Amino acid sequence: MKGRIAALFRSMPVRLALALVALFTVVSLLSLGATYVFTQRSFEQAMRADLTQDIAGFRAAPSASALAQLVEAEARVTDPERMVLSYIAPNRRHYGNALIARDEDGYHILTDISDNPRITGEFMALTTSLHSGQLTIARNLAEINALRDVFLRILGLSLIPTVLIALSGGLFLARRSAGHVRTISGALDQLTGGKLDARVGSAKGWPTDLAAIGRKIDTMAAAQETSVTAIRQVSSDIAHDLKTPIQRVAVYLNDLSDRDGLDAPSQELLDKAKAELDGIVAVFHALLQIAQIETGSPKSGFTPLDLAELCATFCELYEPAAMDAGHSLTFQPAQTSLPKVVGDRGLLGQVLANLIENALRHTPGGSAVQIALTQTEGRIILSVADNGPGVPENERDLVLRRLYRMDRSRTTPGAGLGLSLVSSIAALHGAEVALTRIIHRGEGV
Amino acid sequence: MKLLVVEDDATTANYIARGLREEGHTVDLVASGRDALILATSGQYDVMVVDRMMPEVDGMTLVKTLRGAGNQTPALFLTSLGSVEDRIEGLTAGGDDYLVKPFAFGELSARVAALARRSPTIERDSVLEAGDLRMDLIRRRVTRGETEIDLLPREFAILEHLLRRKGRVQTRTMLLEAIWDISFDPMTNVVETHISRLRAKVDRPFEHELIKTVRGAGYRIDG
Repeated sequence: MKGRIAALFRSMPVRLALALVALFTVVSLLSLGATYVFTQRSFEQAMRADLTQDIAGFRAAPSASALAQLVEAEARVTDPERMVLSYIAPNRRHYGNALIARDEDGYHILTDISDNPRITGEFMALTTSLHSGQLTIARNLAEINALRDVFLRILGLSLIPTVLIALSGGLFLARRSAGHVRTISGALDQLTGGKLDARVGSAKGWPTDLAAIGRKIDTMAAAQETSVTAIRQVSSDIAHDLKTPIQRVAVYLNDLSDRDGLDAPSQELLDKAKAELDGIVAVFHALLQIAQIETGSPKSGFTPLDLAELCATFCELYEPAAMDAGHSLTFQPAQTSLPKVVGDRGLLGQVLANLIENALRHTPGGSAVQIALTQTEGRIILSVADNGPGVPENERDLVLRRLYRMDRSRTTPGAGLGLSLVSSIAALHGAEVALTRIIHRGEGV
Repeated sequence: MKLLVVEDDATTANYIARGLREEGHTVDLVASGRDALILATSGQYDVMVVDRMMPEVDGMTLVKTLRGAGNQTPALFLTSLGSVEDRIEGLTAGGDDYLVKPFAFGELSARVAALARRSPTIERDSVLEAGDLRMDLIRRRVTRGETEIDLLPREFAILEHLLRRKGRVQTRTMLLEAIWDISFDPMTNVVETHISRLRAKVDRPFEHELIKTVRGAGYRIDG
């Protein structure tokens, strides 16, 4: 579940949604912030203008005592919490609803209201000398500061729903498109697995881009299927057209060898011709088989099978032949019993036969060949190892190619198709072929 | 036996027909699936040898049609391909055996004999005998005259297989299929080496040779 959620958050639509949410948040913050700053400034300017006007009103007083009276009259009807009026007359007397004092902590507003002598808050003050006294008017900034809360509230109200809607929409789209992506990758898996008639089959409800990809894949798969069918048809045609004359040659050679009175040199020529024909047939079969496997041969012959039994059978089958050639052939089963693998017994048998024959053919007499099954990290390793000269590192990829023969192998029989057949059968089974030169030596599959 | 050979290549067809006739069989030869269909439904054949690829009605269609009509004549397919897939296809279409071109006549002959229902039935006894050789399947003992022969399990299986089909040739590929369940032909002479080991125990110490090599075909034990 945790993994699925993590996967969902890595998916494209959720990422897009998250990116959009982030972008929207940043833009909203910037625009609201800018609006806030401008509004606050204009409020402050307005307040400053008010203060200037207030001062201007008091300037109209003709004398200090008239001003003092005016301030007192005004102060009586003004709440010092909202606006502070203070006039210090030339005789050091104070008029107004509060006193502005200063100590080491800064400015303080002191009133004569006994229970709250000190008013806290932010004020904007304008002060001027008038009639040799000091007139100060201060207005509380609370209104402007309240703006901040209003803006924060607006931000919350507009952002939170948007973020929630965008996120849930993204998740919904992600789940839907994850379904589509699963369909697409499922079809691709089937296609790679050799099921050539697999299609994505994108339906109406699909988003256009995914549907387009689905259609493209289907077109590609159809083209591939057509070409594979064509290749199969061609290879079966070639097989038929070539096998018939090969069969005829075999018939003629047989007829010839049935004749009495052939002299020894003629008989020898005949045997050589027969051997060459066998070689041609072997190469032809191998090429045909590789072609059929590589053009996505369906896995119709696949059944669960016991690799240990198969290895034991082939070890037993080849043991006398190996012994006659002066080699030893042994099978080392896995320590624990291995799970069954799904595969084609005939094809896997050919893999074993090819690897064993390879080992017997390319090692000097007296060599030891060992077939072994091991299991490491959930992988089953089937190895056919010998203590012969091995394949040089620079030729390891080459020997898996069709018809490649190492220089020193030119004199031994074979057409250079054994290992390429092994590698194509392995690919069909989703297995890897590795040629290594480790403690175990030889070829490990 | 009465055999029907359906093959469109004249050289191959004549070769098969001639060989089978030399062995004493009656052979009808046709070159197309359509002709084969008419003959097969009217005549009573022991075995049909059918080329898979023919113009118009091919071998697969022929056998499928016959099986659909209730005709159970054993059919041996001759094919140019020979992949596992091809083999499975042939056998599911109703073919009874499968031979990849080019083939040796001995192989064809041995397989035709094995398919025929009229050929001697496979021995089901628990004691098999040939000459002075006696094989007790229950006690898993093999003797020749008074001498007891010690065989490995696989050697025992090969001997049993040959003894059960006394008088009939078993080819290398037939033995590979029956004893090891392998349907391809390895490059190495693996069957020969197994037979020669078996011979070393069953034949070499004795005067009379039981396991015969049939040139170009396989091995046989006579009764």
